[in-house]
Amino acid sequence: MSTLSINPAQDWPAADTVTAPVVQTQGLGRVVDDRVILRDIGLTLPRGGFLALLGANGAGKSTLLFCLATLTPATSGRLLLFGREVKKDAARLRARIGMISHQAMLYRDLPALENLTFFGRLYGVARPAQKAAELLEMVKLADWRYEPPKNFSRGMLQRLAIARSLMHDPDLLLADEPFTGLDVRASRQLEDLLRQLHGAGKTIILTHHNIAQSLELAGRVVVLRRGRVALDAPTGSPALAQSVEEILVS
Amino acid sequence: MSRVWSQIAVLAGKDLAIEARTRQTLGLVVVLGILIIVVLGLGLGPQQMAPAPAPGMGGAAAAGATPGAAPGAAPGAAPGAAPGVAALWVAYLFAGVLCFEGSMAVERHDGALAGLLLAPVDRGVLYLAKLVTNLVLMLVLALVLTPVAVLLFGFDLSPAPGSFAAIMAISFVGLAAVGTLFAAVVSSSRLQGGLLAMAIFPVSLPLVMTSTQMLIRLFGQKSASGLSGLGILLAFDVIYLVAGWLAFELVLEP
Repeated sequence: MSTLSINPAQDWPAADTVTAPVVQTQGLGRVVDDRVILRDIGLTLPRGGFLALLGANGAGKSTLLFCLATLTPATSGRLLLFGREVKKDAARLRARIGMISHQAMLYRDLPALENLTFFGRLYGVARPAQKAAELLEMVKLADWRYEPPKNFSRGMLQRLAIARSLMHDPDLLLADEPFTGLDVRASRQLEDLLRQLHGAGKTIILTHHNIAQSLELAGRVVVLRRGRVALDAPTGSPALAQSVEEILVS
Repeated sequence: MSRVWSQIAVLAGKDLAIEARTRQTLGLVVVLGILIIVVLGLGLGPQQMAPAPAPGMGGAAAAGATPGAAPGAAPGAAPGAAPGVAALWVAYLFAGVLCFEGSMAVERHDGALAGLLLAPVDRGVLYLAKLVTNLVLMLVLALVLTPVAVLLFGFDLSPAPGSFAAIMAISFVGLAAVGTLFAAVVSSSRLQGGLLAMAIFPVSLPLVMTSTQMLIRLFGQKSASGLSGLGILLAFDVIYLVAGWLAFELVLEP
């Protein structure tokens, strides 16, 4: 079980260390055109944690994930990844982050192998073609290596997206509603993959709308409501699903 | 520094590999460019078009002997040079806009841009890579359109082919610098369609006018002052390259 703790007032480590938490935020906020998207988010996620981030549509889940991915800047507060300030070191930190979303983030006309090899080269991966072939084997798409993603089913596309996100062997995996549009079989395969990755020591943050599935996968759950943390608890409690549901429908 | 160059090569190589597979952009812009030149040629009238070569004479020699120079051209100006250069630039501009749009559109499918922005690559490098892609596309475009205009308008490039190539290369860098930046701005907004052309045309007017006048002086009037606008072109290139490098981070949104 992960040991996420929320403590906005905590002191910050002076330097990056191997043991620094993967994610630390303090008073993190984002305001767009006077509209508050995120407000005073403070959380710390240690290495190897698996956090489910839940919330209704528009609660700020994806924005928070995009902030953590360094794709969207926060307008207030601090964000440290691996003990380093994101504002100062974003480009280098990106090399340690992988992201999957309901969009594949792939080039639809480029064959699967070339797609992965391209991203591998961009991240400076040694022998990118070989690594791409290994990952295609892992996600059971080796037979489709020369096919472009535009010919893939939704489930295959999501598996290929996972392979893309793992090309550079990231320490932190951000999964933004990755189950969207998947059938039961593909959903189960994705679950298994996430479990494997967590078992291999990856730190994972997952946003999702399925409460039961989220609580089953993650070690801890954070529920956002109108951009604020409304609930933070370890999973495993039988009454947790109902508490989460009450917040989501309130 | 070598990492930057290799990242540019990887990024531009990806764009060109996609274009080689789909031919979505080039197929369209080449046809559009040729159509523009032909329609302008027909619209300007037969006196601006390439004259039929006299028996035993080359087309260019015949053009020089034809008393049908462009209106306003200096005495002794080669006919067809001014309208030919103008038609070429109109074709480059419109087809160029489609190139810029096409090269950015690749990033908008399936959230590919977010995947790119997640990579540990400086945003300025992304800008330069897109610029290289656009320059390669425009070079291919020029290799097709220039002979068409030369044949149709009958102007002779042989007196200064190097100067023509140099002026066009410098102009293309400026046009692509503006186009790459504005294509990113427009693709990040919900307003697309003709907005890119409306943004690029006024901004690139100094470049297009200077380049056109230089080419007309060079080929129409065969003037030694043909390269006198070079400073303006180079200044335009530098200003928009620096602006693009610095501003690309601000205009790219996943």
